[in-house]
Amino acid sequence: MERTTWRASIQAYLYLLPALVIIVLFTIYPIIKSLLISFYDDYDYFNDIVYARGFASYQYLWNDPTFHKALWNTFVFVIGVVPASIALSMFIAVLLNSNIRLRSFFRTAYFIPFVTSVVAVSIVWRWIFHTEYGLFNYVLGLFGADPVAWLTDPKWAMPSLIILSIWKGLGYNIIIFLAGLQNINEQYNLAARMDGAGKAKRFFHITLPLLSPTTFFVSIVSIIGSFKVFDEIYALFGGQPGPASSALTVVYYIFEKFYSEWEFGIASAAAYCLFIIIFILTLIQLYIGKRKVTY
Amino acid sequence: MKKLTVLLTLMFLLLLVACNTTSDTAKETSKNASPVETTKEKETAKTEPAEPVEIEFWHAMNGDHEKALAKITDDFNAQNDNITVKLVNQGGYGDLSQKLMASAKAKTLPTLSQAYEDWVTEYIQNDLVADLTPYVENAETGMTDDDLNDIVDVFREANMWDGKFYSMPFNKSTRVLFYNKGLLEEAGVAVPTNWDELKSAADKLTTTKDGKNIVGMGFENGVGMELIMWVKQAGGDFIDEKNRKVLFNSPEGVEALSFINSMIQDGTARLAGEDGYMSGPFTRGDVAMYIGSNAGIAFVANDAEGNIEWTTAPVPDGKKKASAFMGTNVTMFNTATDEEKAAAWEYMKFLISKENTTYWAMNTGYLPVRYSALESEDWKKFIQENPEYGVAQEQFDGGFYDPRVVGAYGVKNAINKEVEFVLLGQKSVEQGLEDAEKAAQAELDKANR
Repeated sequence: MERTTWRASIQAYLYLLPALVIIVLFTIYPIIKSLLISFYDDYDYFNDIVYARGFASYQYLWNDPTFHKALWNTFVFVIGVVPASIALSMFIAVLLNSNIRLRSFFRTAYFIPFVTSVVAVSIVWRWIFHTEYGLFNYVLGLFGADPVAWLTDPKWAMPSLIILSIWKGLGYNIIIFLAGLQNINEQYNLAARMDGAGKAKRFFHITLPLLSPTTFFVSIVSIIGSFKVFDEIYALFGGQPGPASSALTVVYYIFEKFYSEWEFGIASAAAYCLFIIIFILTLIQLYIGKRKVTY
Repeated sequence: MKKLTVLLTLMFLLLLVACNTTSDTAKETSKNASPVETTKEKETAKTEPAEPVEIEFWHAMNGDHEKALAKITDDFNAQNDNITVKLVNQGGYGDLSQKLMASAKAKTLPTLSQAYEDWVTEYIQNDLVADLTPYVENAETGMTDDDLNDIVDVFREANMWDGKFYSMPFNKSTRVLFYNKGLLEEAGVAVPTNWDELKSAADKLTTTKDGKNIVGMGFENGVGMELIMWVKQAGGDFIDEKNRKVLFNSPEGVEALSFINSMIQDGTARLAGEDGYMSGPFTRGDVAMYIGSNAGIAFVANDAEGNIEWTTAPVPDGKKKASAFMGTNVTMFNTATDEEKAAAWEYMKFLISKENTTYWAMNTGYLPVRYSALESEDWKKFIQENPEYGVAQEQFDGGFYDPRVVGAYGVKNAINKEVEFVLLGQKSVEQGLEDAEKAAQAELDKANR
C-alpha cells in the first residue's frame, strides 16, 4: 500500500473537487438553507432580510388540515404502491430468470417505462384513464361494467395514481431483483430438487431468504421514492393535485406552498417534516433488516 | 479513466472562468448603472436609446396567440434600429409566475413580462415593479390625456394602483357563451339569455345520440375562479376591498353556487375535468354549450373546423349584468436599467397602439383595448364577418375586474378549492361556502397583517 503523502492527498482532493462542488452547491447548501428558512417567521424573501425567527411555520403545519390530508394521502400512496410493486416485480423477475422464450425482449420491455419521461408516460395514461374514450373503460365496457371516472372522481384519483406508479416503477425493481436472483448459487436449488422439494417450497425456502438483502434494498428505495412522489401527479392531473385535492401529497403540498402561495417558511418546514418521517422509517427498516435479513 | 478525470477538471476550470467573467461584467454594469441611478430621481423618464438595447419580454402565449405576438414584435424590431425585443415563452401562466418568482430571488428578472393584476399587487408589495406614471406623463414620449382615455375604462382602471400605473392592459378577455349551432337547432332550443333559460336549455340538450353522450352545458375547471361573476349576477357582493372582508357567503352566494351545482349534480352540465379545457369536448360535439374565455375562440375555431358549427353569445344574465374582465397586462420590472426601461416603454406603447391591438384581437380572440380600435371600420367589418369575435365587447356595461387586494391570489385559490369540493359532491353548497369564506378571510388577514 502507498503511504499517505500530502502530494497524493492533494491530488485526490483535486480529483474529487468537481463532484464536491456540485454536491455542496446543489444538495448540501439547499438542505442547510431550507432548514434555516423553516424557522423564519417574518422575512423579506427577495432581499434575504429576516425580522423574526421562531416555530410559527411548524405550528402552522401542526394545525393545517390540508397538510394532514397531504400526509394521509402520502401514506395511502406508499402503502398502495410499495408492497404491490415489490411482490409483482419479484414475481416477474423470477419468471424472467427462468428459461422462457423471448427472455431478453421481455427484460427490455419491462424496463422501458422506467426510462421513459414521466410526462410522456402520463399523457398516454391520461388517455387510458379517460372516462369516455379511455382504454380502461372500453375494456370494462366489454364486461358490461359502468365507466369509471378515473381521473375526475375523487374516489378513483388515488387508485389511478397508484396503478400508474406501480407500472412505472416495475422495471427498475425487476432489474435489481434479477441481479439478486443471479447471485443465488444454483447448487442450493439442485440440492433441494434432489431432496424432492417442489417449486413453491424451493421458492419460499431458498429463493426468498437468499433474496432478502435485495428485497430489503428495494423496499428502502421504493419507500423513499414513493414518499417523494410528485411528477406523476403533476402530469397525470394536468398541474392539479387531483380532483378536490384527492391526490395531494406532501411534496405537492410543498410545491404549492412555495411556488403558488409564496409561503417559503412553511414549505421549508413541510420539507423537513417529510425528511424526519423518511428518516425514522428508514431507521425502523434498518432495525428490522438487521434481524430478518439472512446475509 | 484518466482521460475522464482530465476532462472533468477541464470542465470545472472552464466553469470557474465563466463564473469569474460573469461576475466581472455584473460588477461593471452595476458601476455604470450607479450614477444613472442617483440622477433618476430628478430626471423624468429617459427616452430614445442612443445605443442598441436588447430587452426580454416573458410571456405565456402559445399557438396562434404566440404567432400574433411574434408578428407584432417583429414589426417593432424592424421599426426601431436600436431596440431589440426578445420574446421568451415561459409555458403557461403558472410556469410564468413561478419563473418570475425564482428570477426575482436570483435578481435576473426580465425587463417586461405579462402579469395578472393580483401578481402586480404582490410585486408592488415586494418592490419589484417600476412605476410607469413618469413614462405616461412624459411630455415627449408619454401619452396624452386623449390617448390615455382611449383605453377602455375597465382596463385602464385595472392597471392603476393608488393613482399610479404599474402595468398596461394587453391581452384582455372575458367570459362568453360558446354554443353548438347544430345541436341547439336540432333540439329546438333558443340561445339562453338568462339563468332560467340556461338551465332548461342544458336540460333539453343533454341526450344520447348514436350511442354518444351529449352534455348540455360545460364549465371550465377553474369555475371557482369565476364565482365572483356568478355572485355579482345574483346581486350579491364578493369582497369589500377597503375593509378587507369577504362577503360572498350570503343568500346571493348560495343562490349562485347552487345554480351551477344543481346542473352539475343532475348531469346536465359538466366540468372540463380530464380534458383540461372545454374547447376539447365542445369541438368534439360532446358538450352543446359552455362558458369560457373569449381568448379560446382561436383554439375553438381551429379544432371545430370540419366538426361542428358554432358561435358565441353573451353570458346569460342573472338578476344583474356582470362580466369579469380578465387576462394579463404587461408590467416592467425595476431591476432594468433606465435605457432598458425607456426601450420597454416604447414597446408597450407599440403593443397597444390602435393598429396593433386590432391586429392582436383579430388573430387571437382577445379584446381590443382601445375605444378607437373598437370603433374603427376595420374592426366593425371584421366582427360583422366573424360575429363570434364581437360578443365580448357587448359586455362592457356590467364589466368589472377581479379584486386586487393583497392576498387576492390566495383568496381565489382558496375559494376555487372549496367550490371544487362542492361540485364534486364532497360538501354541500352551504358548507362549501362557509369553508370558502373562512379560508379566504384567513388568506386576506394573513396577507395584510
